[in-house]
Amino acid sequence: MLSSKVYLKILFFILGMIVTTTVAYSYYFSKNYPLPITNRISLDAKLQFIREHIDPGKIDTIVVGSSLALNNVQGSYLEKSSNKCKNVLNLSVWSIGPVQVEQLLELSDAFPNLERIIYSGQFSDFGGIDKLKNYDSMFIKKYIRNELNPVAYSSLLLNSCKDLSFCIKRQEEWEKEHGMNNKFAYLKFDHTGSAPLHIYGKDIVQHRWKNPHGAVQNPKAFDALARMAKKAKKDGLKFYFIQQPYRQPLIDKHLHVKHNMKTFPERVKSIITKEGGKFFNLYEKLHLSDKYFADRSHLNDQGSIIGTEEIAKFIDQNEEK
Amino acid sequence: MLFNSYEFIFFFLPITFFIYFYLNKKRLTEASKGFLVFASLFFYSWWNIAYLPLILVSMLFNYTVGRELSTHTQKNRKYSSKTLLAFGVIFNIALLGYFKYSDFFIININRAFTGDISLLNLALPLAISFYTFQQIAYLVDSYRNETKEYDFLNYAVFVTFFPQLIAGPIVHHAEMMPQFAQAKNKVKNYHNIALGLFIFSMGLFKKVVIADTFAMWATKGFDVAPQLNMLEAWATSLSYTFQLYFDFSGYTDMAIGIALLFNIKLPMNFFSPYKATSIQDFWRRWHITLSRFLKDYLYIPLGGNRKGEMRTYTNLFTTFLLGGIWHGAGWTFVLWGALHGFALIIHRVWQKLGFRMNSVIAWFITFNFINIAWVFFRATSFDSAIKVLHGMFLGEFILPASITKYAEFMSSTGVKLGHWSKLYQHDAYIGLWFIAAFIVILLFSNSMEWKKKFKPNFLYMSLTILFFLSIFLLHRKSEFIYFNF
Repeated sequence: MLSSKVYLKILFFILGMIVTTTVAYSYYFSKNYPLPITNRISLDAKLQFIREHIDPGKIDTIVVGSSLALNNVQGSYLEKSSNKCKNVLNLSVWSIGPVQVEQLLELSDAFPNLERIIYSGQFSDFGGIDKLKNYDSMFIKKYIRNELNPVAYSSLLLNSCKDLSFCIKRQEEWEKEHGMNNKFAYLKFDHTGSAPLHIYGKDIVQHRWKNPHGAVQNPKAFDALARMAKKAKKDGLKFYFIQQPYRQPLIDKHLHVKHNMKTFPERVKSIITKEGGKFFNLYEKLHLSDKYFADRSHLNDQGSIIGTEEIAKFIDQNEEK
Repeated sequence: MLFNSYEFIFFFLPITFFIYFYLNKKRLTEASKGFLVFASLFFYSWWNIAYLPLILVSMLFNYTVGRELSTHTQKNRKYSSKTLLAFGVIFNIALLGYFKYSDFFIININRAFTGDISLLNLALPLAISFYTFQQIAYLVDSYRNETKEYDFLNYAVFVTFFPQLIAGPIVHHAEMMPQFAQAKNKVKNYHNIALGLFIFSMGLFKKVVIADTFAMWATKGFDVAPQLNMLEAWATSLSYTFQLYFDFSGYTDMAIGIALLFNIKLPMNFFSPYKATSIQDFWRRWHITLSRFLKDYLYIPLGGNRKGEMRTYTNLFTTFLLGGIWHGAGWTFVLWGALHGFALIIHRVWQKLGFRMNSVIAWFITFNFINIAWVFFRATSFDSAIKVLHGMFLGEFILPASITKYAEFMSSTGVKLGHWSKLYQHDAYIGLWFIAAFIVILLFSNSMEWKKKFKPNFLYMSLTILFFLSIFLLHRKSEFIYFNF
């Protein structure tokens, strides 16, 4: 049996070692992997990317939306092809609907020279009205602009170290899933925050290729779109909505898809043009063949280059008038 | 601030500990007490500073009344001590009633008379049920001349001492203040620190690892699922039975452990309650300090068992009915209290008639009664309780398909074999958790037995470290169930 004093010395030494190792790991994690700030890894990764690689003062164009904006719009090609979009940030996040996009756009005033917002989407994005969880736009603005005070940043690190098992899991997942651009989980962004997909041939996931999205859309999602367009107008920003392509064989085969590809653009156009926004139907413009698709609605990198160049032309034409 | 939070474990607790003993070392005894009160009120206000004035008013009032009761003889007053005590008790109950039961009362008035009185929608001030009971006990003890307090700072330490402030154990003035006064308790005691850390980390493990795991399953069954089959319903009710025990006893262990760091011994609150072989035995093991309060300040003043059998039964029933209401403003709590009161009456009659029962059968009946009664305690409404109870007794019985080869004969009896649960289909280890929980509650020593056996050696050090590793699960931070009461 030990004396209580010696017992405590050994105990505190071991506990101290455990805590120190954990804090050190958290620091390492924060430098190499997205800190768990929200409940979305693609948003956490995007926020970290902006913090480390983007000068908010330079950004004139923001691309928002779900993966249909993240993968289908290549910011670097938009910068190359457009005379107007010179510094693009693709702020898109996987699987977000208009209500969540609206939350994302709360960050727009973190970019003082912003001129335009490009919302890239499809009817399938308008089904959900969930909100982003753990999303504090004031905190996030400070985080992406590197304006968190040391105490707040330490507290953020502590929060990530709090959930050590989650961090270890996220690290493993990141190594396995998010580094390869032949997977839909690809999250290593180009210099604008876009993530073009190199998904061809055997990498194509058959069920995503063959099965269309459901038909359900929520009126509240359209309300969110209207609010976004209105706010953009109020803030003096140009607002564009890009209707993304869809695989033609699925449109021909499934009545609900055909119906949606007709009614959805009409509805969106009427909402945003009321507030001075511009609508561009990329599907109608390009009628892309299957070789440009990675699945039913995501374009591969070749498809996304073609699409992005058309978007650039559309913006230039509108703004040079 | 929660015990199971980083800010408490890494900042509040060590800072409070070191400053308290530093002040004592410098012989600034009053300052150390003042600091302890300040730290406790800071701890309390962390949730919501709006509650602070209420606890201060309550303390000032009770201190004044208690002092009056214990210092002045009745001859010097225009009113009797009994009147003063009644005034004090009524004030406390009114305060508790206003914050805790107003809306319940209004809802029932509206329902009974199809009225339209607006609800007050008052937020329940944290810990009000606990500090109110503790102070009522103090007033009664003062009236009985069992305790005296002349110093407000001492009184404030007694009420606010942060380890027991939020959810007990409910302590008596006479068992706490001599401990604070003892000179040897003003210096660091390494044995108590080692023991305190062991008990604290065990409580942390119970709460964070065990209770919060069962909490997920209980929530799914009670709040998420629209209906339950038989196995799902039993899994739901058992999950809550285990969650509640490990949550509350975990909290109590943490409180006892923290108090030990300050050389204060809090009374035991749990002693393996699910080992009980009768309902009376259960209440001697579960929330012991509440049972003690109800016995000393309600059951015995009502006459206890001194006024004949019928009166004893009435007193028992009344005590438990009020115990149920103390837990929450809702008919489900009333029914829960009534069930326990009724069960105690049956047990008393049984004993009176001299019947005996095999202890395994007695345990089985007691445990199942408690488990079923907890359904009312947990359910947010009668509909929710009925949903779970319906599933437990009349739900569809589907055995897992994986046991088909052992249970094929059962298909002829109409029992379905297949996908036993949609609700828990992703919780692969739920069965193992139940087995482990039963082993722990029935075969393991409880934390108070471990406390007695504690020695500063490598076994206890390893256990402390192992339990302490629960801090890596603090991301699923959740409040303790009894904070709601």
